[in-house]
This record gives sequence, C-alpha cells and structure tokens, in this order.
Amino acid sequence: MISLSDFNHEHAQHGIAVSVRDLGLTYTTSIEKKPTLKARFKSLGRGKRHTRIVPALTDVNIDVHYGAVLGIIGSNGAGKSTLMRVISGIIPPSQGRVEVYGSVSTLLALGVGFNPSMTGRDNVYLGGLAAGMSREEIDNHFDAIADFSELGEAIDAPMRTYSSGMFARLAFSVAAVVEPDILIIDEALSTGDAKFKEKSLNRIKELRSADRALILVSHALATIEDICNEVIWLNKGKLMMRGNPPEVINAYREFVNARKSASSDEDV
Amino acid sequence: MDKPVVIYEPFRAGLPPMREYFASLWSRRAFISEFSRSGLRQQNYGSIFGQLWLILNPLLLSAVYFLLIYVIGGSSDATRFGHLTATLFLFYLIANSLTGGVKAITSGERLILNTSFPRIMLPISATVIALFKFLPTVVVFSVIHLLIGLPFSWQMLWAVPILFIAVVMALGMSILISCINVYFRDISSILPYLTRSLLYLSPILYEASNISESIKKFEILNPLFYLLDSWSRVVVHAEAPTMNGLIHASLWALGLLFIGAYFFLSRERDFAVRL
Repeated sequence: MISLSDFNHEHAQHGIAVSVRDLGLTYTTSIEKKPTLKARFKSLGRGKRHTRIVPALTDVNIDVHYGAVLGIIGSNGAGKSTLMRVISGIIPPSQGRVEVYGSVSTLLALGVGFNPSMTGRDNVYLGGLAAGMSREEIDNHFDAIADFSELGEAIDAPMRTYSSGMFARLAFSVAAVVEPDILIIDEALSTGDAKFKEKSLNRIKELRSADRALILVSHALATIEDICNEVIWLNKGKLMMRGNPPEVINAYREFVNARKSASSDEDV
Repeated sequence: MDKPVVIYEPFRAGLPPMREYFASLWSRRAFISEFSRSGLRQQNYGSIFGQLWLILNPLLLSAVYFLLIYVIGGSSDATRFGHLTATLFLFYLIANSLTGGVKAITSGERLILNTSFPRIMLPISATVIALFKFLPTVVVFSVIHLLIGLPFSWQMLWAVPILFIAVVMALGMSILISCINVYFRDISSILPYLTRSLLYLSPILYEASNISESIKKFEILNPLFYLLDSWSRVVVHAEAPTMNGLIHASLWALGLLFIGAYFFLSRERDFAVRL
C-alpha cells in the first residue's frame, strides 16, 4: 500500500492505469449465514460440507488507461462490486493478475469508518485516515471538505444527530477531496438531494483529467452515458461487452428487456 | 515511470510479505490511535462522567473487596486487599482486550469490505482501548497502596517490564480470538465463561503461595498464573519477581502473540469474503 503523497502525478497520457488479466475469483463461503462452533460439532462425523464455492468472476480482462472514464454496468450480482474490490486490493483474486499503476482511492460505500457518536469534524479525520490520507493532508483539506458538504455549524454536532442526507453529504465530501491517480466509485452518486447530486456529479466531472483514471459503477445508465468515454458490461461474473457508451448501454438494455419479456411469457 | 506499483495475484497459504505489511501498518498508526479514541468515545468515555467512570469503576470494585475482606471477613490483612485489587486491575486489562478483540473483525465488516488496510489494526486497537481503560486503575491502586501502608522498594520498577509482558499477552489474545471469531461466531458467547474461569484459576482471589504444589503443577497451563503472581510480588510485596515466573509469563505472551499473529496474517486476506 502506498500513501498518496509518494506519487508523482505525471503519467504518460494514455499510459496504462489498471491492467486486469484473466481474472477469476471464487469465494469459499460458509453455507450457514453465521458459521458457529455449535453447528460444526453437531455435524461432526456426518461428512456434511460447511462451505460452498461461489464463482464470482470468470476470465475478466480489462485495461484502463489514464485519461479514461470507465463505466461498469450490469444487473445485481453481476460481479461489479467484486471486481472493484479486487482492483482496490480488498479481495485477492483466485486466478489471473491485477496490476495497478498509481495511487488508488476507493469510494465503494459512503461513510466507511465513520462513528456516529463523534462530531462531523472528528469523523472527517476518522474517515480520511481510514481512506489512507495522512493527518496533514486532512488538515490542509479540511476547509474544502467542510465547504463542500454545506453542513455549516452542524459539522461540530455529533453525527448521530445528522439526517441521512447530511451523513451522505459529509461522507462524499471526504472522499471527493482526495485526488488520487485512480478513483473507483461504486454507486456513490445517489447521495443527498437533487442539488447535491448534481454537485457531486460535477465534482466527478472535474476529476476527469488526462492524468487520472476513473472507474464508475452505476445503475444510472444516463449518468454513465454522460460522463464515461468507455463502458463495460458484466453479467454473472463474465465480461459481456466493452466499447463506447451508447453501443454497450443499448446492448445491455436490449438484453434486460429480452429477459423481462421472456419471463413475462412464462406460465406462473 | 509506469512500473507496476501494486500487483494482486492469487495468494498462497501463508504469510503476506512482512516488510510491506508492517510498513503499511506503521503508516496507519494515526488511524489506529484515532480509531481507538473513537471506540472509547462510543463507550461514552468522551464525556466527563464517562472518564470519571474509568476511575469510579475500579474504585467500586475495590470497595466491594474491601467490604468482603475488612468488614465481612473481619480481617485487617492489608496485603490481601492490596493483592486482590492489584491483580484484579491487571486481569481486567487482559479481559477487556479479549472482549474488545473478539468482535474486532466481525463488527468491522463495513470497513473491511470497503477499504484496503492491514486488518490486524482492528484487534490492535481493541488492546489499545483496554490499555487506556487500565491506566486510571494504576492511579487508583497507587492511592490504595499509600493508604493501606504497603511497602515500597526499588524492586517495584519491575512493574514496567511485567506490564509490558501483560500488554504483549493481551495483544496476542486479542489478535487470536478476533481471528477465531470470524470462523466460529459463537466464540463471543463462550468468552464470558472463559474469562470467568481464567479469573478463578488465576491467583487473584488467593495468592499463588497458598495453593498446593500438586495443583500448582497444572498452573503452568494458565498463561496468567505467573504473570499475576509476579505482578503481585512486585507491586504489593515490593519484592523482585521470580525468574521462573518471568520466563513463564514471557513465553506465554510471546507464544500467544506469534501464534495469534501467524493465524491472523495468513488468513486475513480471506476475511472480506467470510464476513
């Protein structure tokens, strides 16, 4: 893991940012929701299996270049979030190889590391440190974060008193102020009210630059079409298509509609 | 330029590259301290009465034993009272580290699923919290020590290395149990019985010298036995600890830390999919 400051931000234009080769991922998870010692004892000697293997990604190959804004679409359970977790080093792959050339900041879920009993101000530090920033970096960015969140004096109130919109606004602001080489955003755009949504979308547009790569996971196809210059479509852990946004999005829409009408024809 | 910065490949069973791991852990030290602070805050230790409780709780505990020994027992044995409070306070350091550590990973699910960081930070911060709760008890015990007129000597400086051994042991236990709890979630329900048994099997309610040699042989299996005995010798009796006692405690502490850390580090990459 590398701290953000170790990096020089000069990347050759269109140099490679993330390279995913023959990526395969299978989970071993317990069959029961919560594995317990009791269950293990009860099934002793019965030869019962406690774990099952779930294939999550199969043979995925992607290159993301600097300057690209890559959108990832697909239905629920397609493996989008899993792929993001592999790229950010949270889950190790079971096959293949992922190479990441630059500092990565992930925005997979909002407010990770926040503690509701502390004030917004304390949580900016906590969340920032959780995201891998140093205390000095947070000091330097604090005013920008507070301004962006539009919380005003509420920043010094405990976070348990925040509305869910305020919570999300602060969480997005902490994440948006980081300026990494590679930014991975998973469904984080749907925060706050319409005005803040637009503001966060604009912030993401601002972050697009030749020396940065953005990867965006979303179900909001219009947004994807608006900001991305390349889209990949995942289905059941497999890469279905990659190409320019309108083409891939149309193919995906047709696929979803075909499935919908097929299922509506079935006898129930 | 443009040389691979981070490469993720399938991992073989075993430890991650240790140098990188510890460098990354070290770079996250500010997060460990902030995370521990927020953990304490969540348990209300951020407020004035919460902090007062850190002092009140050990005071009340020792008041109960004062009642038991001086009032009900009718004895005026200052050493026994001193022994009880001193060992009980150190015992709580270990017990709090275990209870904090057991859910360190399972309750950090959101953090683990969405951020990449050395997971061992979470049980470490459980031990840091336990240590913060322990420090006020040192003050309380020092006052008790003065009030009941226990002896002083230079040998009491042994308290520093013994406390260090205790922290290493607490850390090892916290790391080990946090990892076990990922695979067997009911360990957290069994834990209170485990700590209660440890409490009775350790020389807290009695002194190590009071039990028969035949039973003492088995106490080699209790990681806390000689640790607490040494602690009592040093801070209550103002004597030097026995070499045997120190070696026993250190071996258990290092053993638990190494086994715990090995278990943890070789499995932590699996945690994200197990939660």
